[in-house]
Amino acid sequence: MTVRIVLGAVIMLAGLALAGRRLLWLGSLVRSGAPAPGRVNGAPSRVWAELAEVLGQRKLLKRWRSGLPHALVFWGFIILTFTIVEALGDTFISKTFAIPVIGHAAALGLIEDLFTVIVLAGVIVFSVTRLADSPARRGRRSRFYGSHTRAAWITLAMIAAVMVTLLAYRAAQVNTGDFPYGSAAFASHALAQLLQPAGTGVNAALEAFFLLANVAVIMGFLVFVTYSKHLHIFMAPLNVAFSRRPRALGALGELPATAGAAGAGHIEELSWKQLLDTLTCTECGRCQSACPAWNSGQPLSPKLLIMDLRDHLMSPATAGRASAGRATQGSAGGKALVPGVISPEVVWSCTTCGACVEQCPVDIEHVDTIVTLRRRLVEEGQIEPAVQQVLQADAQQGNTFGKSGRMRARWTRDLGFPVKDARKEPVRYLWFVGDFASFDERLQAMSRQLAVILDDANVDFGLLFEDEHDDGNDVRRVGEEGLFQMLVEHNMASFAKASFAEIFTTDPHAFNTLRNEYPSYGLDKPVVHYSQLLERLLADGSIPVEPLGLRVTYHDPCYLARHNRLTDPPRRVLRSLGCEVAEMPRHGLNTFCCGAGGGRIWMTDSPGSSSSQPAERPSENRIREAVAVGVSYFVVACPKDFVMYTDAVKTTGNSERIQVVDLIQLVDRARGPVPALEAV
Amino acid sequence: MTSMASDVLVLAERAGDQIQDVTYELLAKASELAHAWGGKAEVALFGPPELAAQLPAADSVICVDHPALAGYLPDAYQQALLHVLRERSPRLLLLPNTTMGLDQGAALSVLWDAPLAASVTGLTAAGGVAVATCQVLGGKVLAEVELAGERAICTVVSGSFDPSAGQAGGPAEVVTIPPPAELDAPRMSVRQMFEPEAGDVDITSADLLVSVGRGIGSQDNLELVAELADALGAPLSASRPVTDSGWLPKTRQVGKSGLKVKPRAYLAFGISGAPEHLEGMRGAELIIACNTDPHAPLFDIAHVGTTEDLFDLVPALTERLAP
Amino acid sequence: MRIVVPLKAVPDLVEEIEFTPDGTGIDREYLAFVLNEWDDQALEEALLVKEVSGGEVIVAGLADDPGIDQLLYTALAKGADGAVKISGGAQDTHARSALLAAYLAESPADLIITGVQAPDDLDGQLPPMLAARLGFPHVCVAIAVEAAGGSARIRQEFSGGRSQQLEVTLPAVVGVQAARQPPRYAPISRIRQVTQAGGIEEVTVPAASTQPALTVRRMYTPEQTGHAQMLTGGTGPVADQIIELLRSRGLVKG
Repeated sequence: MTVRIVLGAVIMLAGLALAGRRLLWLGSLVRSGAPAPGRVNGAPSRVWAELAEVLGQRKLLKRWRSGLPHALVFWGFIILTFTIVEALGDTFISKTFAIPVIGHAAALGLIEDLFTVIVLAGVIVFSVTRLADSPARRGRRSRFYGSHTRAAWITLAMIAAVMVTLLAYRAAQVNTGDFPYGSAAFASHALAQLLQPAGTGVNAALEAFFLLANVAVIMGFLVFVTYSKHLHIFMAPLNVAFSRRPRALGALGELPATAGAAGAGHIEELSWKQLLDTLTCTECGRCQSACPAWNSGQPLSPKLLIMDLRDHLMSPATAGRASAGRATQGSAGGKALVPGVISPEVVWSCTTCGACVEQCPVDIEHVDTIVTLRRRLVEEGQIEPAVQQVLQADAQQGNTFGKSGRMRARWTRDLGFPVKDARKEPVRYLWFVGDFASFDERLQAMSRQLAVILDDANVDFGLLFEDEHDDGNDVRRVGEEGLFQMLVEHNMASFAKASFAEIFTTDPHAFNTLRNEYPSYGLDKPVVHYSQLLERLLADGSIPVEPLGLRVTYHDPCYLARHNRLTDPPRRVLRSLGCEVAEMPRHGLNTFCCGAGGGRIWMTDSPGSSSSQPAERPSENRIREAVAVGVSYFVVACPKDFVMYTDAVKTTGNSERIQVVDLIQLVDRARGPVPALEAV
Repeated sequence: MTSMASDVLVLAERAGDQIQDVTYELLAKASELAHAWGGKAEVALFGPPELAAQLPAADSVICVDHPALAGYLPDAYQQALLHVLRERSPRLLLLPNTTMGLDQGAALSVLWDAPLAASVTGLTAAGGVAVATCQVLGGKVLAEVELAGERAICTVVSGSFDPSAGQAGGPAEVVTIPPPAELDAPRMSVRQMFEPEAGDVDITSADLLVSVGRGIGSQDNLELVAELADALGAPLSASRPVTDSGWLPKTRQVGKSGLKVKPRAYLAFGISGAPEHLEGMRGAELIIACNTDPHAPLFDIAHVGTTEDLFDLVPALTERLAP
Repeated sequence: MRIVVPLKAVPDLVEEIEFTPDGTGIDREYLAFVLNEWDDQALEEALLVKEVSGGEVIVAGLADDPGIDQLLYTALAKGADGAVKISGGAQDTHARSALLAAYLAESPADLIITGVQAPDDLDGQLPPMLAARLGFPHVCVAIAVEAAGGSARIRQEFSGGRSQQLEVTLPAVVGVQAARQPPRYAPISRIRQVTQAGGIEEVTVPAASTQPALTVRRMYTPEQTGHAQMLTGGTGPVADQIIELLRSRGLVKG
């Protein structure tokens, strides 16, 4: 008994010391980060997030095939803390130790056994998943591509070892008569049958051995966890607790800035939450599988980006500086994050579509971190010339097309009726047209169509004409925060000149920033997307329509669906028009980006630049998905989508099979007998 | 005859021993004007006097030779030209709008105290007065200016005049003038000459571009257009779909997201004219569009168009250029 | 080494051009003005020279150029060490060069780097005029500038991809066609910081006396064709017409 206590104590103290030391060190790394404001306010939503995301495994269960086993193993480990307490009690207190209150209730024995078996089964499912999606075989298509697969296998083996030693200890206990639970603990009793022939003496030895082995494996696992990607079992609850609520989408987060310099150029300039993100990543690769950049052969994987930042954070040089205290902060030394740790191509590949953030089970905020890195690159002038041109034009002319600002409302000229000037007379709705719908010749036709629809429906709307400037959503996501603020200030001044009750826009990007970011600059009017406006007008009969009887599919714009959770209004519009919506596999919050967001539409590089095999563009990938649904119409609710997908239909050679149409065109068609849907 | 000078002087541009074509354009115009005024068309030639044989259409070739004038040295040319101007007192000095012309024109305008009309594309003798048409704001505006004084300088955009009258006739009278003393103490020297690099061409500096779009269908078909481009001595450029497909490098992309080009002529094959593309090439002086779709938007801004199939037209063009 | 970079505000070509009522000038009232793109290249090249060889880059503008403050602040945000605004304005390049020459006579520079031309040059280009007034050597259509002690090495470009490197005694004037790298981007936040800090030096120089050298009869926009003139007649004749078009412009030899 003494030997057991001493051995147990040595194992425990060694394990706790090693793990504790490591955790303290990790804590010092996180604390070396810059401040992250607003991470503790709104406690109720944080508690709810803990319950739903951690205990409830909400995001994981969206993919039940891997999510359910994970949830069961997670819950299993929570249940099995009882066995750990019992094992420690057995080791250090007495063989008859029982957890206070619960005691040796038969139900506890059953649950313990049940979850031991379930966890073992889970380990098998995980192994099968990893074998089936092996990165060695599937390359970039595997979500485990670039993950530490060896550590993952060790983790699985250790989990199995915890379960096996536990069961063996309990089975030996059955045979020595020390087992406090009856036949409800079915697995222990079943294994006991196998061990019984060895005799009581051997079983007594086995009992002692497996008890200590169990404690040793648990302690070993504890230490291993703190040194591996499996750290998430400690970090995830923290990361979720400190995450941006309700989600790190919509408005951009409050990003770190060092004195005088925007964004982050060195690891310690990232916020502590961004550093915590890197330690929390489990390398599960759900972000990577959903990422439009990764899927079109671009070098960006949100997972690998976070992992690279973590590896750099933990590298001896960086970590040494961090533990030496924050006095060394700044750009005094260490590798530049870009290009030293992350290549510029990776940073610029992001469309800011938010698929990674949506997927991440541990609430990592990839997009905010990428924009943080971009801000510093912009600060240093390291932007590709094509984007520079756009930003300069935007600063000079107030639009990203480099056109004269006076041309902005030129599209209204041939309407046959005057469009109200909201600066001169009050209007109910202020139409924020946005750059694309104002200046792109193909989209101008659609803007005219919508103006006619609204005019016919007696909607009281007006424009800001040349006083409307670029909304700045994409400029901000490129990392040009100064320009964004300048644009906001201009637009806010323009709003102040006008009299209106509500703003609407066709552009989900403009919608996003007007709705989520302009309020902090003083905008206090409701902002709606035109799909919401059309929904109202169809519902109250202002736009009389005949059913179209079409079968269509609908593409959710990232900035409408994921960033703003609006997936129903466009679908309701389609139903009002008598269209049947056949969904693509990736729809709603899981929609797939067209590839134009986050300033990507202004960049020159082509897909597949990172590999010898040219991959398809995100928009082309998407059109193939739509064609497979077997519908003739691909409905969009975003000007950029219209441009991107019209091109993709051509480049994939699908002009005969599918046509890209905007909600506006369908509404227009349903309003009256138009012979055929004209391609714009 | 008044006492007013009536000669027109052209500064010859040469590369090595070769008189450059633009000189003949200027000489043709100089003859036209000088003869209308009853004066002489003269060419200032810096370098070996035997090169004067290449300038038969001139009434006189004024030669200045000196080691500092072996190549093109801006400072030496300036001293020599000022010297010639003082010696000959022409009414009008014509310079090409080349590097040499950009160096010399504005400097001599100050030093010789003569007004300068820059970026000239048209020049007439309206009675006793020379009237120049000048490009302003990248050709968006044309200005008609009078050069009424007793002396003036024009820098002429190459390609503005027909060179044929400047190439024949002669032989010219050759006048050799001793070099000015300043040439013995030049303030600059040539360290190194560079010939065109073998790397990829810069499409933004080409006078003529042969551009291809989605209409060419496949990379194999590109060869056809490449042959035409070779025959024309023009680089190939492209619209986005072609470079996106990797058929041509990104350095050849014309458009909003590629390069903006302003060649003197832009031949577009199979380009429909997406707004993004138009933004990159609108500034071309002459746009010739070939597209089988008569409604292709490119026709709206092209100067000349055809709906001939490029697969027929391109070989026909190449054939006509064969030596 | 003191490098002075004269900057000019020129009409933004995205705007529609309108003419004065008498038709002899451009109506500047409704035009937006931007930095002359060649001056932008010149500034970049000057900053590159400073980065390699040290010294200071001073940008100089004329007070009457529309929006000149903004252009000078942007240049400061890009890394220029000082900005001066010279009193008065100039109707043409001759007058402009006289004003700048007067400033440079009082505040001498070792190297003057500016754009080889401006889109609204009608009476010639600034760099050679400035050089002629100052009695300095000058090199135009430069694509690279290196300082080397009392001289500068300037790469001058000719058509057809030929170029030469010249060794030029300082002080000298350089007309830049293109910098060695694309002009750097000045983030708006930094421009705003610089603008708030102020720091443009205003200088008054003796008024220049130059006479307008050219009489403008009229200004007009070249005719827009609206639609291409369509060539017809079959492949052969169309090919002939295209070749003839190119030949008449000297783009096809022979």
